[in-house]
Amino acid sequence: MADATARHDPYQDKLDSLTDADLAAILAELRRRLKAPEIAAAHTCIRCGLCADACHYYLTNGELEDVPAHKLNLVLGVIKHHFLPGGRRAGGWVGARKLDKAVVREWVDALFGRCSGCGRCTVNCTSGINIHGLIRAARGALAAAGLVPPELQSTVMTAVEQGNNMGIPRDEWLETVDWIQDELRAETGDPGARIPVDEKGARLLYTVNPREPKFFPLSLLAAAKLFHAAGESWTFSSDRYDVTNYGLYSGDDSCAGLLSGRLVQAREDLGAEVLVLGECGHGFASTRWEAPQWLNRRFGFPVKSVLEVAAEYVRQGRVRLDPSKNKKPLTLHDPCNLVRLGGVVEEQRYLLENAVEDFREMTPNRRNNYCCGGGGGQLAMTRFAKRRLAAGRLKAEQIRATGAMVVVAPCHNCIDQLTELGKEYGLGTEVKTVIEIVADALVLPRKNA
Amino acid sequence: MPTIEYRGRTLELNEEGFLVRPEEWTEEIALALAKDQENLDALTPDHWAVIRFIRGYYEEKKLAPMVRAICKTTNLPLRQIYELFPSGPAKGACKLAGLPKPDGCV
Repeated sequence: MADATARHDPYQDKLDSLTDADLAAILAELRRRLKAPEIAAAHTCIRCGLCADACHYYLTNGELEDVPAHKLNLVLGVIKHHFLPGGRRAGGWVGARKLDKAVVREWVDALFGRCSGCGRCTVNCTSGINIHGLIRAARGALAAAGLVPPELQSTVMTAVEQGNNMGIPRDEWLETVDWIQDELRAETGDPGARIPVDEKGARLLYTVNPREPKFFPLSLLAAAKLFHAAGESWTFSSDRYDVTNYGLYSGDDSCAGLLSGRLVQAREDLGAEVLVLGECGHGFASTRWEAPQWLNRRFGFPVKSVLEVAAEYVRQGRVRLDPSKNKKPLTLHDPCNLVRLGGVVEEQRYLLENAVEDFREMTPNRRNNYCCGGGGGQLAMTRFAKRRLAAGRLKAEQIRATGAMVVVAPCHNCIDQLTELGKEYGLGTEVKTVIEIVADALVLPRKNA
Repeated sequence: MPTIEYRGRTLELNEEGFLVRPEEWTEEIALALAKDQENLDALTPDHWAVIRFIRGYYEEKKLAPMVRAICKTTNLPLRQIYELFPSGPAKGACKLAGLPKPDGCV
């Protein structure tokens, strides 16, 4: 019987049976997060509509619900009704809406289901409204009532409870590091090549995306090879190595602070000078830019992307690259959280110009690049997967227009989406990290005879 | 809700092609998923070695194995795993072995 086997979705039940206490929890968290700029935003959107053409959801799908100003207004309407003078009295006149079950459903559909938090609307907003920031605040308000879509929340909780977002047991992480160390020795021909773990006083603490040890360890090998070639003093942590932070996506600041705080503490415990973040867009935005606010402290030590570290090696002549080792035409994807929202823009280009023969930019690129569609927790939220792949069409077209055979992205989340886009749109491209390309171009120092 | 048909049975898949109910998996279903999701018309003994190991590991531990464990048990080099399953260990191999989608950036 079809009915008997129809899948039951407890999340829908929860949305159907919201209580007054749930609504109060949402409002309390929303209120807590409103500062002057957010309040000002309620009055400054002039409905110019420029944000519509900034959004990859709107550009591929074209529904009103996809327009960033519409998503913004879902949030601002509630702010006006509940927190601003005049909102309750002037009601519909100023676009105020009381938070109720129907509004919560619209929030979930638009703020979780039609936004990857890429910030392209924000940088194109004529009034300078932090649109993606307000959307994240509203996600956080939903999180306060336990209303994050469960597939996304599960990745947050796996990280919080098990120390990394894929639930990798410590001994399996260490066994994989050991294995990659063997591969490093084989590739470099140096039996003394090492991948240090928990080494006190190392200059760099390096962090990675758990999907690298779990399923795609070639990027670990590439980074180890780079550090080896540079003669770097570096280390992994045996238990705090996860650079990701799905709290950024769920909007939950307390989880987000806890996750970034672990890396900060690991650096302190090991006495490393620099916390180096692996190729992860949202992990970079989280720990480099947001974490000081989440943790309410100044760091006083450098937090760098591995791209910045690698570019320093090349500039200082600590490593030598031979671009003839990468002959295939190659293009670069700019992860939103690393580039538009993270400020790491030129380092990856400098590396590629030195590491490949035929580097082709996509159009548009850098801060104005389109999101691949995989950010904002979209990769985790299976219920919105169709929209994610449809919204990735722009990126697929950008890639195809370059004629490149290889796409590189300094972000494992983007890499997963780009791989799926390759399959969905028949691109036939190979997808790699920037450091993998750099490692392929390394001219290794000759061993002493 | 997407579905997959095999010998008159209709199984539900989620929006990304993973079995909604992992316990419904059989080796015939793996074949049907290979065709439907990975464009693989046949599965070689190497494919089966990977799929059976992942399935057995999952039934015991309720999670996907590390790619390290897959290589060690099957004696297949890492790069060959990616060739066998073009969508990768998670969206390729684990999907065909009937596992739920893993947490994380996959």
